[in-house]
Amino acid sequence: MASASPVINPRRYLMDDRRFVGLIFLAPALLYILLLVGLPFLLAIAFGFSDVTVGNTELNFIGFDNFVAVWENDIFRQVFGNTVMFTLVSQVFILIFANILAIIFTQEFTGKWFARFIFILPWATPVSLAAIGWLWMLDTKYSPIDYLLLQTGFLGPNGLLSNSRNLFWLANPALSQISVIFVQVWRMTPLATVILMAGLSSIPTDILDQAEVDGSRFMRTLLQIKLPLILPIMVIALLFSMITMFGDMTVVYVLTRGGPVDYTRIIGLYSFQIGIEGGNLAQGAAMALFAFPLLLALALLMLRTASRAEVR
Amino acid sequence: MMSLVELQGIKKFFDNVRAVDGIELEIENGEFLVILGPSGCGKTTLMRMIAGLEKPTAGQIFIGGEEVTTLPPRKRGVSMVFQSYALYPHMNVFNNIAFPLKAQSREKKYDKRAIRDKVENTARLLEIDMLLDRRPRQLSGGQRQRVAIARAMVTQPAVLLLDEPLSNLDAKLRANARDELKEFQRSSNITAVFVTHDQIEAMGLGDRIVVMSHGKIQQIGTPQRIYDDPANEFVATFLGSPSMNILRNDVFSFGFRPENFLPKTLADNPENSRIFHYYVKRVEYLGSDRLLYGYVQGHDNELTLAKVPSNVRVSLEVDSDYEFAVHNSDIKFFDKTSGQRITEQNLQEIL
Repeated sequence: MASASPVINPRRYLMDDRRFVGLIFLAPALLYILLLVGLPFLLAIAFGFSDVTVGNTELNFIGFDNFVAVWENDIFRQVFGNTVMFTLVSQVFILIFANILAIIFTQEFTGKWFARFIFILPWATPVSLAAIGWLWMLDTKYSPIDYLLLQTGFLGPNGLLSNSRNLFWLANPALSQISVIFVQVWRMTPLATVILMAGLSSIPTDILDQAEVDGSRFMRTLLQIKLPLILPIMVIALLFSMITMFGDMTVVYVLTRGGPVDYTRIIGLYSFQIGIEGGNLAQGAAMALFAFPLLLALALLMLRTASRAEVR
Repeated sequence: MMSLVELQGIKKFFDNVRAVDGIELEIENGEFLVILGPSGCGKTTLMRMIAGLEKPTAGQIFIGGEEVTTLPPRKRGVSMVFQSYALYPHMNVFNNIAFPLKAQSREKKYDKRAIRDKVENTARLLEIDMLLDRRPRQLSGGQRQRVAIARAMVTQPAVLLLDEPLSNLDAKLRANARDELKEFQRSSNITAVFVTHDQIEAMGLGDRIVVMSHGKIQQIGTPQRIYDDPANEFVATFLGSPSMNILRNDVFSFGFRPENFLPKTLADNPENSRIFHYYVKRVEYLGSDRLLYGYVQGHDNELTLAKVPSNVRVSLEVDSDYEFAVHNSDIKFFDKTSGQRITEQNLQEIL
């Protein structure tokens, strides 16, 4: 009886098996996530609950001691506040600029292609190079911005802003914070704009034609039709840049190293300075983990919004 | 007295494509005008030019005696229902219908109260007053269509433009919606321009039909006129299902409709009919009719159809020859090259 059915070599049809082929396609991404995201994350948790340092790599479980110590550290509290403040303030500006630019770039005008190209550059430039560029622009002595202000009478003796020849962008507490926020906005606006442009161009032309026939003018169509329709996409753009910014340390590392004093120090940078540069791996990991619940909440919100946007 | 809408020499070219190529058209007040044509014939572009969504390359548009050729849509007193209905998905039904009123509130001086009254009255008229709180995605296809019509009607426009508004409904609903639309138009006495590629819709709805092809008007007339008295071969074959049989000889083409092509024994008056020897190749039984596929003697390459009512008890077998008849008045003659209709007097001259 058994000999009646032909013998099939199971390997011959392996590539027809959806589960097997699916696994093959997923494998690179899975490996990447497991090795470069999952493993370090678990390691960070293990470090956070231990007393490991660069000098003594033995892992001794010490409970929440690191977290308590970090939270009782006044500098960390300021750093945490800086991080939240920088992220929120820059998002407001990013949203405003991205909306305006997305609307401009979805209109028809000559030179649109070139304008779009120029405009995308900040995002296409590697963060470190861009930050170094701004380091020069904001230089204490040779800042071109200061030079222009000097030439136009805003700086220098009897200047409108200051009698000094320089504003000391990265040395003055308020200006250094403004500078960091400015560079982040400059860097992140293009991505948000591109996302919003995709949203705007996905609005069916019928809807916009209908609004026109209904007698709606530019502002009404913008405020009552376009913006509400791209709201889910706007939330996604917002969450994207929030998460990117929250975890970024490159800009401040290059521009200020956290100074003056701690005015521009943020979690990512401080955790790096304590954990890697200072050698206290355990405390550095604990600091980084403080950001985790916030980022997790943001990521979940983002995924939920994204899936709801699809349904519409 | 000018017509409500007048189009004079309207052309619209997109790069090298002549989408609309010289349209002269007058639309009377209170009329239901259907623009009928295959896809790509320029009918939607024509309607969008009446709406003000496209600027004509050449020509002039008048609405209510006033030239509106370059005016934006909101200055024209027109409203439009799109094929997709284009309801604003984030607004409930009330706000959808109220939107054109709000958009025009500055010019027309509508206050909140007036807007509410108008929306509710229009909704009642279209029997959607119980849906005002719903979102578009919570509505059925038929309900969406009514909301779209309510939104278009609420401003009491001079002209209501409808771009294939029935094609998104399923077949059962469509006949019903057609009837309601016609009834609504008649009772409100609004001027409606309705674009469609569906000849049954066109025949059922139109007071007059404009048949378009390749950006040009082929014929304008009542549904019956267009069906019985087509101006050219295109109109003759575009209307009717199955379409008119066209046979060619050395000098001219002639055509007759399948339902007028009957067994000789059934012909009302065989003396005034032309008799053909008809070879039946295949028979389709369609319930109320039998559809015959075959060839007329002397035209062996031109498939000819006959539509014979099922209730006449004539036996029609496959692979058999019969004598079929067409009444002389049901035979139309066309110029062989231009496709234009030839009257019988002209035909005598040609022969």
